[in-house]
Amino acid sequence: MSAMEAKARVTPARHKTLGLTDKDVLDMYYYIALARALDERMWVLQRAGKAMFVISGPGHEGCQVGAMWPMDKQRDWFVPFYRSIAACLVKGMTASDMLLGLFARANDPSSGGRQMPGHYGHPRVKILSTSSPVGTQYPHGVGIAYAAKIRKTGEITMVAIGEGGTSQGDVHEAMNWAGIYKLPVIFVVENNAYAISVPLHKQVAGGNVAARAAGYGFPGVSADGSDVLECYRVAKEAHDRAKRGEGPTLLEFRVPRLGSHSSDDQQERYRTKEEIQADRRRDPLQTFRQYLESVAVMNEGTHKEITDRIKREIDEATDFADRSPLPEPDSGARYVFHEGD
Amino acid sequence: MQRIEDLTREELAAAVESYAKMVLARRFEEAAERAFRHGKIGGYLHVYSGQEAVAAGFLSVLRRDDIFFTAYRDHAHALLRGTPPGAVMAELYGKATGVAKGKGGSMHLFDASRGFYGGYGIVGGHIPLATGAAYTLRYLDTDRICLCFLGDGAMNSGSFHEPVNMAGLWGQDAMCPIVYIVENNQYAMGTSVSRSSAATNLASRFAAYAIEHERADGMDYFTVRRVASRVISQVRETGRPYALEVLTYRFAGHGAADLFQPYRNKEEVTQARTRDPITVLEDRLRAAGVLTDADVERIHSDAEQTVEGAVRFADESPEPAADELFKDVHGAWGTWPR
Repeated sequence: MSAMEAKARVTPARHKTLGLTDKDVLDMYYYIALARALDERMWVLQRAGKAMFVISGPGHEGCQVGAMWPMDKQRDWFVPFYRSIAACLVKGMTASDMLLGLFARANDPSSGGRQMPGHYGHPRVKILSTSSPVGTQYPHGVGIAYAAKIRKTGEITMVAIGEGGTSQGDVHEAMNWAGIYKLPVIFVVENNAYAISVPLHKQVAGGNVAARAAGYGFPGVSADGSDVLECYRVAKEAHDRAKRGEGPTLLEFRVPRLGSHSSDDQQERYRTKEEIQADRRRDPLQTFRQYLESVAVMNEGTHKEITDRIKREIDEATDFADRSPLPEPDSGARYVFHEGD
Repeated sequence: MQRIEDLTREELAAAVESYAKMVLARRFEEAAERAFRHGKIGGYLHVYSGQEAVAAGFLSVLRRDDIFFTAYRDHAHALLRGTPPGAVMAELYGKATGVAKGKGGSMHLFDASRGFYGGYGIVGGHIPLATGAAYTLRYLDTDRICLCFLGDGAMNSGSFHEPVNMAGLWGQDAMCPIVYIVENNQYAMGTSVSRSSAATNLASRFAAYAIEHERADGMDYFTVRRVASRVISQVRETGRPYALEVLTYRFAGHGAADLFQPYRNKEEVTQARTRDPITVLEDRLRAAGVLTDADVERIHSDAEQTVEGAVRFADESPEPAADELFKDVHGAWGTWPR
């Protein structure tokens, strides 16, 4: 038994005090690693000319997995934004689902190949289709929450955005509405300190997104978005509040941005090397792995097992998506209007 | 409350002048309501009765070359700034002699020669314009400032959030000399503040944008004037925005169609009328010995005559010519600011 393992036996591990089992945290790690590997594969495919565009969330995975974990996979709703890869995976989408979207295939569950890459959506697992205009998902999410309250379905809605999006008027109107009617909604802001290339201090007056919740009469929490368990803890509280009928919570996760805004951007043009390096040291994939090793939940062997499994899944998903058919041209005008349930 | 004995002779003289203008504004609104019922005024009509101390307090200390924006409850703002009552009434009547050539109407008064940049019908729609104008004043290296009056209901529109965030950011570089004046009259049309905002301290919302803010009693002219004077000097000095929530009350309905006011009871209105800003000011000026019965009588009869004259002027003025329809749609490049 190593000294580290011995120590772990004496003090209860942090995840245990939060009510998470060893299996839970290993599964959480799996989703973070899966999202990262899928993300990297998307970039390779884009650079290889197989995909037109990539927009993803390296560095955001930890907070997404932590925040999504308390949500009910069948009952609750998720309204994503374009960086929500890890959150959508936890909610129930698969790597194949996402690559079918990237390749714009006929069997893409998000839109049958109609949407841009990064516009996730899946009716079966209650993920609303991603909207292109920045910020409009907030009113959509609040509308779903309002319906849930009226219909007394007990569904809770989580809606995600970046800090840049919070400057939109839509976001303000949505949060005010949710505050008045105490709606069962969790507002997630993944603050990576850049709105494309605009830094936080030129985007958010006061620099604190969570503080805005006070103006709408509900709590706002700012958490370290690279600390997966802390993100889980605050999201669980928000979920419990919503369930008790006490209304919305705003969760601001301060996350590292490990990549460029999108495949059409080069962050080295507007960020210093030192800053990018500092962000890398907060990579949730690494920090969470270190945590799991420190409490002896994961070792070299289990890590390799998980990594190999992910590689296999992504290779299979890539082949499957690549071999899938393109949409029929004469289906182009479908799904503009509702076609029945 | 501002103590009357602390006021200088000049302040008292200015207050008497403001009192006369507030009486004029009240009589004007009453005449406008009558004209609307007689079918003389088309479109819509929102009167300012009850809120006069707010605009009077601020505009009495605003410098001649400063500018201001407001929403659609805008008649008193124009009158208090000195736009001739005839030109305002003619605008309500849609006549060619109106301050906006009869093409704006009640909600779109505009008198750039006096720094009054409107008069806007879209709720919250003027806030981005006022914020941009404030930026321009600094960009052109002047020490002029901008006032932006808005209602409590407008604070819930997206067009409040976006510019106010920018004002907070520009203020960091001393580039946004604006005062946001939230005239909280307790109702967004028929929706009370507590039904339209979960957090009812509206001033505190500006904290989210790192903008200094406070609340003030909007029924007492001296309180408003004192706060206005301090805040305007500060904004001129710093180039940073400032926000005030001024607690006031409208005695009339929201607009001309709001006849029955089912969202509030008569007792509430009666209670509010006991603090009529005009009476409050009148009592204090009498107590200070600068306003006599004869003065009051003269001020009221002057106001009535002026309003009668304005109504007559509006009535007798011609309609705009048909070819006016396509004029003034686009502004000429380089004409702003005057």
